[in-house]
Amino acid sequence: MTSQEPVVRMINVTKKIGSKTLIDKLNLEIPPGRVFGFLGPNGAGKTTTIRMMVGLMSISEGDIYIGQSSVKTDFEGAMRQIGAIVENPEMYKFLTGYQNLLHYARMTPGITRARIDEAVARVGLTNRIHEKVKTYSLGMRQRLGVAQAILHRPKLLVLDEPTNGLDPQGIRELRDYLQELAHQEGTTVFVSSHLLSEMELMCDTVAVIKQGRLVDVKDLRGSAEAGRRETAFEVDKPLEAAALAGSGTIDGSKLIVAVDREETADLNARLAAGGIRVYSITVLTRSLEDQFFEMTGRGGGQIG
Amino acid sequence: MGNFLLLLQNENMKIYRRIRTWVMLGLIVAIPALFAVLVKVSVTDDPGAWDMFSNITIIYMLVSVFASVIFADIVASEFGWGTIKLLLIRPWKRSKILLSKLLAGILFSLISTILFLAVDFILSFALFHGRSVNEYPADYTAFSYAMEQMLYQYVDLLVICVIAFMLSTLFRSSGISIGLSIFILFARNIFQALLNPELYPWAKYVLFTNMDLSQYMMGGGQAGMTMGFSITMLAVYVLVFLAISWVVFMKRDVAA
Repeated sequence: MTSQEPVVRMINVTKKIGSKTLIDKLNLEIPPGRVFGFLGPNGAGKTTTIRMMVGLMSISEGDIYIGQSSVKTDFEGAMRQIGAIVENPEMYKFLTGYQNLLHYARMTPGITRARIDEAVARVGLTNRIHEKVKTYSLGMRQRLGVAQAILHRPKLLVLDEPTNGLDPQGIRELRDYLQELAHQEGTTVFVSSHLLSEMELMCDTVAVIKQGRLVDVKDLRGSAEAGRRETAFEVDKPLEAAALAGSGTIDGSKLIVAVDREETADLNARLAAGGIRVYSITVLTRSLEDQFFEMTGRGGGQIG
Repeated sequence: MGNFLLLLQNENMKIYRRIRTWVMLGLIVAIPALFAVLVKVSVTDDPGAWDMFSNITIIYMLVSVFASVIFADIVASEFGWGTIKLLLIRPWKRSKILLSKLLAGILFSLISTILFLAVDFILSFALFHGRSVNEYPADYTAFSYAMEQMLYQYVDLLVICVIAFMLSTLFRSSGISIGLSIFILFARNIFQALLNPELYPWAKYVLFTNMDLSQYMMGGGQAGMTMGFSITMLAVYVLVFLAISWVVFMKRDVAA
């Protein structure tokens, strides 16, 4: 993680409705310039947390800071730094795409017409922007939603389930675009989803929440590069191979050991020299899905 | 901080870029015109212009209905469309967003009232040249009487609209708030007739009994009610309705 000042600080954030606690003392810091995923099963409190961040829901206890501004006490200051799409980007269908953007542009100081055109070009809607939104496809509405969210060049872009209803091409474009925003323009992107594979491709870091509690924060990019990974060697004599390697477990005809890149090659040479035939070497990556189920418990859970 | 006028401009854009609004304004012209033409062709003796003016004024009910629809819809529609989620995450306090909606609604009510008055005048004076038979109370001319009537009708419209506005924030559903507002608009005459302040002393504190300020044009009201009393009662009711709207709108969690 970077040592820079976090863009979002959630401090003991709690949401209670009646006697029910939806979010329970959530503490989370989001570092700048990353695509930060927010993962959890349905009903875990993802949307509730996001709605509290953007002021659509009140915070029962605790506070959320966007930069230096508290959402509770300096709402206007906090909101000036946020661009968001909460669930589907609902637009005024009787207005054109451009009029919709103009509407939101008027609500934040300092957005010029040139900036609106730039945002429109950015999401590739230039040719259709002066048509009524009711003629737009879902994918085009999603693009318009992104355009309204980035109009004021927010420090933080919050997206709630952004891939819902998008076709594979749309998902891919959105993913590339978010990565670009985060890594080139330094915007922090906070994105919630329950689509694990999607999050794995899109995010640098994920926070996992379950029943209103933070379970874990995982760095996806870092762990993929460095360190030893579980590697399976498929051999003809696994027992002898294990003896040669000096460690590892045996799974059928496979010897599974934790090694890094160089050690893989070394071990392979030693096995070959020891007269053991190696048929295949496979790095066993545990998918985010496996990790997710490890953290949240597999199936059968009750909706929080 | 940002410019409040821009918020108002936004609300106006959302009213006047809808075809519905122009249909309403078109009807505010067309229906009085139709009425005037029917009278012109069916009556042999032309009525006087001012008599006709007050006849056409009955159609002002139409403006009340349309203004109520705009007010009943102005908050609820944002919830219905889901756009409320994008509207409330801007660097504006909710109180100011609600204020911009109230003012945009009042602007519409003024525009449609002025349009109606202009149409009423033009039709009455262009088509009818007979002798006026209406008599006016002392101190009134035909013009001042008509204008004062109109003013009271506008006050009546505004009170209904504030109720519609409150229903709009309370129910977040255009259907319910429009339906209820129109119901109140039509049913209040029944309440007014039933709740006679001469019979029930408490009835003079009921909103509906006080809404028609023109009752004082002919002299004192019933059961010792005065113009000042009614204006005070209306002001209290309006403030309470607005306070409810504001509190509800500012506290409400926007879910789903």
